[in-house]
Formats: sequence, C-alpha cells, structure tokens
Amino acid sequence: MAKKWSQRIRNWMANKMDLPQDVMMDLPRITMIGQIHVYIENHRGLLAFTDKELRLLLKKGQLLIKGKSFVIKTILPEEILLEGKIDQVIYITENPGGTK
Amino acid sequence: MKNQWIEFLYGRVIVKVSGKGLERFLNVLTRDGLHIWNVKRHGTETITFKMRLRDAKNIRIYARKSDCSIRFLQRSGVPFLFKRLLKNSGFMIGAAIFLFIIFFLSNVIWGIEIKGAKPATEYKIRKELDKMGVKIGKVQFFVDNVEGIQRKLTNNIGDLTWVGVELNGTTYHLQVVEKNEPKKQEHLAPQNLIAKKKAIIVKMFIENGQKVVDIHDHVEEGQLLVSGSFGQEGKQELVAANGEVWGETWYKSHVKLPLVTKFHVYTGKEKRKHSILLGKLEIPVWGFGKTEFKEFETEKDVRKIHFLKWELPISYIHKTIREREPFTREYTNEQAEQIALELAKKDIKNDLDEDAIIKDEKILHKVIKNGKVILDIHFKIIENIAVGHPISKETPE
Repeated sequence: MAKKWSQRIRNWMANKMDLPQDVMMDLPRITMIGQIHVYIENHRGLLAFTDKELRLLLKKGQLLIKGKSFVIKTILPEEILLEGKIDQVIYITENPGGTK
Repeated sequence: MKNQWIEFLYGRVIVKVSGKGLERFLNVLTRDGLHIWNVKRHGTETITFKMRLRDAKNIRIYARKSDCSIRFLQRSGVPFLFKRLLKNSGFMIGAAIFLFIIFFLSNVIWGIEIKGAKPATEYKIRKELDKMGVKIGKVQFFVDNVEGIQRKLTNNIGDLTWVGVELNGTTYHLQVVEKNEPKKQEHLAPQNLIAKKKAIIVKMFIENGQKVVDIHDHVEEGQLLVSGSFGQEGKQELVAANGEVWGETWYKSHVKLPLVTKFHVYTGKEKRKHSILLGKLEIPVWGFGKTEFKEFETEKDVRKIHFLKWELPISYIHKTIREREPFTREYTNEQAEQIALELAKKDIKNDLDEDAIIKDEKILHKVIKNGKVILDIHFKIIENIAVGHPISKETPE
C-alpha cells in the first residue's frame, strides 16, 4: 500500500510540477533518431548484444531492440547509444529482474 | 566519444575480446568507469571495441576475472604517433639540422661591399673591419652593431669624412665619402685678390701679382689687394694673383654662461641584461632583478634574427643600464668669466680658418644677472683676408 502511495505521489508531483517522468519515476528515456540511432538512458546493464539484437536490463523488465548491423557507439553505466538499422523496440515485462 | 580529439590526444586502441559472457564483461567495464565506444559484434564469440589507452592498460585485470581473452588490434593517437616519430627520429633530426643550418647561415656575414672609396682607402677600411671582426663568414651576433662600426671606422680611418654602414640581409654595404684633399691648382685663371673683410693689413706674402695696398693700410670688404694685371696701359698681361694677405680683423661675440649648471654624470656602475624578444614578449635570459639605481640611462642593442631573407619577430636584446647621478657645477664669478671667455674663443675659432690667430681679446661689457654671466667680447684676429676674384677679360681692371 505504501509503495503504491509513494508511486501516486510521485506521479502527482510529476504531473503538477511539470517534471519529466523519467527523472521522477526511474523510467528509461529512449530517444530515437529515425531508424538509425537509439539513445537509451537509465538502463541497468547490457544483457545481450549481437549485430541484430540488443537486450538491456531495466529497473522493471527488459528492453529488446531488433534491427540490423548494430554498433554500440557509446556505452556508459546508465546510458547507451546504439547505431544501426532499427526495426523494433520491444518492452518485455513478464520476468522482471531479467536473466543473466 | 565525448570528444574524439581528446581521445586522439591520449591515444586509443581497438580491443578484440573473445570468449563467453561478453555482455557481462562490458557491463563490468562500463560500471568501473572505463570508456568504451564503437562496440561491434563479429560472430558469436567475438566483439571489438575502442577504448582509451589509459584504460587499456588495466583491462587485463578485468579479463582475468572473466573468461575472455583479449587482443589489441589497432593503436592510434598521439602517443603512438609520438612513438613512431621517435623511431623515425632521423627525419626529425635532419629537419632540425636543416633549419638550424639555414638559421645559422642567415645570420652570417656574407659580403662586405664598399662603395665610393679609392682602392687604397678601401684596403684600409677592409683592414680596419678585419680588426673589428667584421669578416665574411662571421656571425653577425658577435659583431658590433651598425652604428658601432660606423663610429669606429670614422674614428680610426683619417681619410674618411663619413661612412654609412648599412646591413642589408647578410651583406654590409658601406658608403664612403672620402676627405677631398684640395686639388693642386695647376693653372689658375687670371684673378685678383680682394679682401673678404674689413681689416688692417699686417703682413703680405705675394707670390704673383701686383700689390695695390701696403702694410698698415685699412681695407674695406671687397677692396682690391693684389692685382693680377701687369704692364702698362694698353699692353696688359693678366696673371693669377696669388699670395697671402694677413690682416687684423675684429669680431664681437656675446656669451652667456649660467653660474650654476645641473647635469648628469655616470657613476660608472652598470648592469647588463640580456633577453630574447618574441613578438612583443620579452623573455629575460641573463641579468635578472630590478635595477637598484635611482637614476639611470638604458642603452638598448637589438639584434634581429634572420631566416633566409626575412627578419623573424625574434630578436636578441642586450641592455646596458648605467647609473647616473645629478651633478651641480658652480662657478665663482671669476671662474665663470674665464670660462665664458674660453667658450667665446672656441666659438670664434670655429668660424675662422685654421691658421688664424687670436691676437687679443677685450671684454667690452660684463654683467652678472639672473645667475648668468653675460659677456661681450671684442676679439682682434689676424687672418688671411685674401680671396681670389677672377678677372673677366672684357673688363680688365
């Protein structure tokens, strides 16, 4: 109940005070530039990386990006810049915590 | 990737990692703050990425903990360039030596040109220059500057009236004006001698001509002294009258001399400073510290450094700082009078020929006013008053 309350307060604050949701609620921020770039902030680590697929761990669930000829342009503890031809960005929330 | 130029500066390497758990390995690296970029996958078990040279040195430690093997593929950036430069240092040294040689040769004296001098004088000048060290093949740095050379040449060689020294690139151009010895008068046109001043004649030495006046005569300016025409009326023969007519002339001079004069004298203490001027920035090389002299005069000798024909904005400065002190000279009235008289004499002598004699001087008027001695002096001078005056044939005198 308490968690739900805090969640609600955060949500309310984000709404009322015009704060970005990702800062308040620890969500990933995904910026895409066309099909060629994806910039993901606030991830929790790299799970899998091939030139067709990138799997990232989030706070809740995982993020799966599919496409072609992927290159990680930059990788920092909480940020990643992916370059390539992006086809799909998929949220996977069935198994929170992820598999390693 | 934040700033690839910085990475270029520090050096970067391409790392090839192969093995299992590559993603975990990457996570470990990023979490420990190692910069990684351009991650690419090659096949199932290999990835390559770029990283900083600094970080690459520690990567083995991480690799040992995981089951990945590491190879470095490519090294780029300044540290590696530098290493290669060292390996090929022969080129660098060659270039440096080349520059140095050109520098050196641009600052060497390559020629001395003397214009306007007779061969004998030229020889003398060359000898004198040799003595000063101005020779072909010497470095300009260690030679006197242009003004110095000019001064020394004019002082040491009697035949020179004036010498202009100019440094043009690597060549000294000397423009010489020799003292013109008076030409011997071979054959003079018929002339009379006339007086150039009002005078009383004292002595006469007539070599040629008919004298018109005599000793103790009073002559006016322009008066005929010695006539160049001989013979009787109608059959006159014209010659060039020649000789000396010494007359007593009079000059008046007015001198003012302050009793108290203030001027500066050097104490003999001096300080030398050497520095290099880069554009407008002066870098001291030798002789630091402030000058502790209360009053001083600075003499600056600037040498430009040449590169081929250009002057570089680099120059070498040699400063000499000389201490001076104020000095007050005071005369008593008698002394002042004496000195004023001397001054007047010197003054007069400047206007006179060298062989003129001051026979007598008389102080006409003496005032001491406002700390000044004012003298009016009358000089009696014996000088040659004869000057040639051509006789025109149409109107023989």
